[in-house]
Amino acid sequence: MEALKLKLKQQIIEALNLQDTKPEDIDDNAPLFGEGLGLDSIDSLELMVLLERNYKIKVEDPREGRKILQSVQSMAEFIMSKQAA
Amino acid sequence: MDRMAERVLITGMGMISAIGNNVEENFRSLRAQRSGIGYSRFVDTIHRNVLPVGEVKCSSEELAKLAGLPDTTGFTRTTLLGLVAMQEALRSAGINDAAETPTAFINASTVGGMCDTEKIYFDILDPQKEGTFLQLIDTLDCADCTQRIADETGLTAYVTTISTACSSSANALMYGARLIRAGLVDRAVCGGTEALTRFTINGFNSLKNIDKRHCMPFDNDRNGLNLGEGAAYLVLESESFAQRRKARPMAELSGWCNTNEAFHPTSPSPEGDGAFEAMRKALEMGGLSPADVQYVNVHGTATLNNDVSEGRALERLFGNEVPAFSSTKPFTGHTLAAAGAIEAIYSVLAINRQMIWPNLNFTTRMEELRISPETRLLEESPVKNVVSNSFGFGGNNASLVISKYGN
Amino acid sequence: MEIKCYIQASAAISPQQSFSGEYAPQFLPLEERNLLRAQEPGYAGFIPPNSLRRMSRLLKMGLTAALQCLRNANATVPGAIITGTGRGSLQDTEKFLHDIRTYEETALNPTPFIQSTYNSVNGLIALQQQCTDYNNTFVHRGFSFEHALLDSLLQIQEGNAESVLVGGFDEMTVEHFFIKSRIGYWKSALTQPADMLASGTPGTIAGEGAVFFLVGTQPAPVEVRGIQMLYRPAPDQVASQLAQFLQKQGVKAEDVDLLVIGRNGDTRFDHFYAVVEKALPSTATNIPFKQYCGEYDTAGAFGMWTAQQELLSGRHKTALVYNHFYGEQHTFILLQKH
Repeated sequence: MEALKLKLKQQIIEALNLQDTKPEDIDDNAPLFGEGLGLDSIDSLELMVLLERNYKIKVEDPREGRKILQSVQSMAEFIMSKQAA
Repeated sequence: MDRMAERVLITGMGMISAIGNNVEENFRSLRAQRSGIGYSRFVDTIHRNVLPVGEVKCSSEELAKLAGLPDTTGFTRTTLLGLVAMQEALRSAGINDAAETPTAFINASTVGGMCDTEKIYFDILDPQKEGTFLQLIDTLDCADCTQRIADETGLTAYVTTISTACSSSANALMYGARLIRAGLVDRAVCGGTEALTRFTINGFNSLKNIDKRHCMPFDNDRNGLNLGEGAAYLVLESESFAQRRKARPMAELSGWCNTNEAFHPTSPSPEGDGAFEAMRKALEMGGLSPADVQYVNVHGTATLNNDVSEGRALERLFGNEVPAFSSTKPFTGHTLAAAGAIEAIYSVLAINRQMIWPNLNFTTRMEELRISPETRLLEESPVKNVVSNSFGFGGNNASLVISKYGN
Repeated sequence: MEIKCYIQASAAISPQQSFSGEYAPQFLPLEERNLLRAQEPGYAGFIPPNSLRRMSRLLKMGLTAALQCLRNANATVPGAIITGTGRGSLQDTEKFLHDIRTYEETALNPTPFIQSTYNSVNGLIALQQQCTDYNNTFVHRGFSFEHALLDSLLQIQEGNAESVLVGGFDEMTVEHFFIKSRIGYWKSALTQPADMLASGTPGTIAGEGAVFFLVGTQPAPVEVRGIQMLYRPAPDQVASQLAQFLQKQGVKAEDVDLLVIGRNGDTRFDHFYAVVEKALPSTATNIPFKQYCGEYDTAGAFGMWTAQQELLSGRHKTALVYNHFYGEQHTFILLQKH
């Protein structure tokens, strides 16, 4: 789980071109959208692409996506649950 | 400034869409409540049997025939759609020789000839490959279709193309009307043309706002749009010029407004600020109050965001007296750059045939709104003033007011 | 025009050092291909990092030139934003085409699609400056910036805006340079800008840039007297339309003391420029601006900017900008110094 979260953080930084942000700057439970990292709805689409390209997980419904993409923690949990299934 | 007060009349119309190859066929489909949405026959995409579209029922070869061309050489589908609509528009205005009077041609397009260039793009990039496909290189941009149509029909005075995403052809109509009011031309033919492409289907799909079902504007269960294709042009003339040549006015373009949301690159503001201002100012310009409006042809794409925003704007502007409103996109799909002109023609038809078009596929009111669209075909319904909305990416909003002439 | 319209400020990103400081155009040496690349300024002082991270090159160039223009005018919210671009963000269009192929139409990032739409720069300017008024984008080769300018003048005449932010921007990618080379847009042999006009060969040198003006009713040293466009004219029509245009503006040909001209050394279309040169006094200073910016759809904006700079330097009073794009879209713009 910890390794997955670190990897996710690196992937998020790369995919969203978050220059000057390091993995350790992102708190596992901090909200990715709004306050936290200040991401928006286009970022959320890009994060869904990240899940699809790297983890072969397809999120169809943007409303479902919002729940999964709340934080690095929620993303990691979702990936684990999908991989366990 | 007397000149600025000159009225701008609609004296001709031509169109092609998923529900018909000319205005009359479109009218019949609207009246029969017959949708044109289905799976694509002509676009090469993996989404072909998954994402429904509003495709024009003719192949490009058939379109060339309709346009009186020997074959499709050098003409993209975008151009062919436009040419078919343009020829009908000029015919219906009784214009035999468009070059006789200095006439502006204000076209609209979102991706130009992409429908054809995307098929050969990687051949173009391959220096080893030669062939007739090289003729299509210059069709990559938006100007190509405009100039081909202009050259085929003899329009030369002001030739240009507007691209403001989904509001493009509404802005083309506005700009043409303003050229007339400024006294630069007596006549302008304005509208837009749009062909379905793998590029746009994948683009909207990547935004996750295409519904796999037939689109359901203003329904609580809506989940996105269906793309469509088509072309539509309206002949605009100054009132004095139309009278001099004894043209038959079909309606008046009595008001217009363009605003920007300045909210987000692809989403409108939740309270519909831009839509509200566009409609309000367009009515004000036409000397009309909200109570004068009998029908609103809404943008109504059936995306989650648009319908909330536009619906809130309607509630704010019209209060408890929201007139009949419907989205005709369940008939045609969202034809992007052509949508504003196609729906302007549907607005003229509403006035001239005294009918209000139904909003298909609606069952449940949205929880955010207290209004619902008109779901029945209303016949013998007095329509004098119509508001037609077109809103797009980049926050580009446009509202047109189309009025019965001589009321 | 009934209401006079002035250039209140401008800003240009171009292959030259034009964005800040004194403007001193140079013949820039080319090494690899006939392409003059724009010199990009630092963007950090203009665009917040959270917006900057996603933006492609043309969006940054367009937005930054627009913002610098507003700064130069000490303005924040213009009465309208109107732009022209022939190609929009080519880099994004190409990226999305390649992504569609690479990922076989699955798992596509929407960003290049969004940014490839031609009105995306306009939307960004409106968003960053919170300008909710009139906003339009023209996309028609050599009639892109030009119609944006006409639309701006109309907005001002109609009383809808006291000032309009108007601009033109285009970029050239290596991929698109190759595409256009296949249909003879560029000179086939490497040609230096200094030699371009006398090369005696077809084609020209490619360029790019983003140029913005704030035009409005508030008096400033340079007035925009008028603009006239001609679509596919014959050479003799260019001469007769020029005469009519000047007459309509109340200007005699001999009053024009500065001609800023779009000559680009393409032997196929040079004759149009010769027609206009012949119609004006031989004493008029002749400045061919494409040696400095290269050829592109909205190069006319750089031409108008060059004319404005020359007029501001005080040597001339009446400037005509004449440009055409591959013989199809021709434009006269008349500027006057007060």
